[in-house]
Amino acid sequence: MSSTEQFTTRPEVTFAIAGVDALLLQFDQQLDPCMPGFLANIRQTIFREHGDVVQEVVPSYASLLVYYEPRLVRTYDLQQLLEVVVNDTPWLCSVWSVDTEAPGKLVEVPVWYFPEGHNTAAVNDMAAICKHTGLSQEEVVAEHSGIDYQVYALGFAPGFAYLGRVAERLEMPRLAKPRQNVPAGSVGIAEQQTAVYPQASPGGWNILGLSPFQWFNPNTEPMTPVQVGDRIRFKAISEAEYKQLLQAQGGQS
Amino acid sequence: MIGFRVVKSGILALVQDTGRLGYQHLGVTRGGPLDAKSAYWANRLLDNPADAAVLEITAGGVELESRTQTMVAVTGGDLNLTINGKPQVPWQSFWIRQGDRLKFSTPRYGFRAYLAVSGGLQTKPILGSRATVQRDHLGGIHGNGEPLKVGDELPCKHLAEEEISRQIPQQYLPQISQNITLHLIPGYQQHLFSKAAWQQFWGSEFSLSTHSNRMGARLSGPALETPKDTLLSEGVSYGAVQVPPDGQPIIMLEDRQTLGGYPKLGNILPLDGFVLAQCMPGAKIRFKPLSLAEGQQQMRRYLRFFGL
Repeated sequence: MSSTEQFTTRPEVTFAIAGVDALLLQFDQQLDPCMPGFLANIRQTIFREHGDVVQEVVPSYASLLVYYEPRLVRTYDLQQLLEVVVNDTPWLCSVWSVDTEAPGKLVEVPVWYFPEGHNTAAVNDMAAICKHTGLSQEEVVAEHSGIDYQVYALGFAPGFAYLGRVAERLEMPRLAKPRQNVPAGSVGIAEQQTAVYPQASPGGWNILGLSPFQWFNPNTEPMTPVQVGDRIRFKAISEAEYKQLLQAQGGQS
Repeated sequence: MIGFRVVKSGILALVQDTGRLGYQHLGVTRGGPLDAKSAYWANRLLDNPADAAVLEITAGGVELESRTQTMVAVTGGDLNLTINGKPQVPWQSFWIRQGDRLKFSTPRYGFRAYLAVSGGLQTKPILGSRATVQRDHLGGIHGNGEPLKVGDELPCKHLAEEEISRQIPQQYLPQISQNITLHLIPGYQQHLFSKAAWQQFWGSEFSLSTHSNRMGARLSGPALETPKDTLLSEGVSYGAVQVPPDGQPIIMLEDRQTLGGYPKLGNILPLDGFVLAQCMPGAKIRFKPLSLAEGQQQMRRYLRFFGL
């Protein structure tokens, strides 16, 4: 992340070729709380107005990857159509940066935060986090669960939600060497971001707890309980509560 | 419905169709055959729809016993196919009876074979697709992304009557080679790379690393000079050539993660990706530039040919 400041004006869009059937719309290289709502609106308008030639639109922090059918529209023509959509989409930054009026719903996610010297969890970085930040375990928990996070993007794995921004005092560099296997439900932090691993996978984030929250289920509608633009609030629970909640789900993951 | 029993599971055998479309915004990978052209040919030999599910067999070692009678077609790399112990030339269709044994052993040339059955493999679709994506735990025989295991049963339809065996005309057989040139359409963050990095990229020979998989083809060669700026993660399209800090390019394939943050030189032509899918680790790879218009024209011809 190159910068942490917020935009005061709407960002400019640039177009990049991403292969024979994709265009990348880039807005800037900054983490901005107004961006997810702005991108969600653009995405919807693209499907509504150009759904005949556009197949998929993948949003991320400050970009949209648009997959199209090059046999139905010329790349340059599509770029002009998309430019119109972007320019017609309002930049509602001033409204959305106020928490109470933020777009999307607020979802509570329970977390069993590890004690510093917990040995039963195979992957526990709480001690390293305390050491690096100079905070006590209680302070780390208070910092992590004390603010609401915006869902900036879904990706990496089904239902993996990139959340930000993490309090500055809690910022941690990624692990120098990523782990081969991080257990499902692990709650991690890296730089300005935090996330929960929906399933066991390799990963390079610092792990501070476990959550029983289900992020993805292909048999439910919607498949992901949170969408880009929603907000997340972590709630500290005990080890016993964690195990109880996990059991209540009947091990469906 | 029982079609084939898995006697030997091989190194990696996966049920694949054209993939999960429309879920990348949730982080769901598309999947699909790495050599889609060979998969389409296998289906065409049986008059299957182009998106019928096939078996992708990587590097061989698979043995199947038929529990039904049907027509099958085998395309892609030559993995020394035998039927009931008798060697068979691929790129044709065969009549299979109950009890017949199909065996794919080590590659003679190429790396991935495709087995289609009449009507397509009948595993349960998940999110509209039968494609197996291991990292997403989706698709395949058990629906959880697992590759073929010994004792698994691959479901397919019973065919009442034998059909005529067909072959693919000589002129359409693929040119499989372990020394290839890939066409790259510059794009993405091409401007982030220095002139020296580009010269090195076009002028160097890379070799395909043993760490390659369905997510990405990892290349090893001279380390390219990489941009210093870190980027926010963004959508990654098929064939993107990204360069991580170690300067060794990775070509993103069908099982790539939906978002990624490394700088990219551009994308390879998908038709070349199919050729790449038949390369074994150690294969020699070079790059040369291609315009977007020329790339789109070549893809149009290919898609029209298969009626897609």
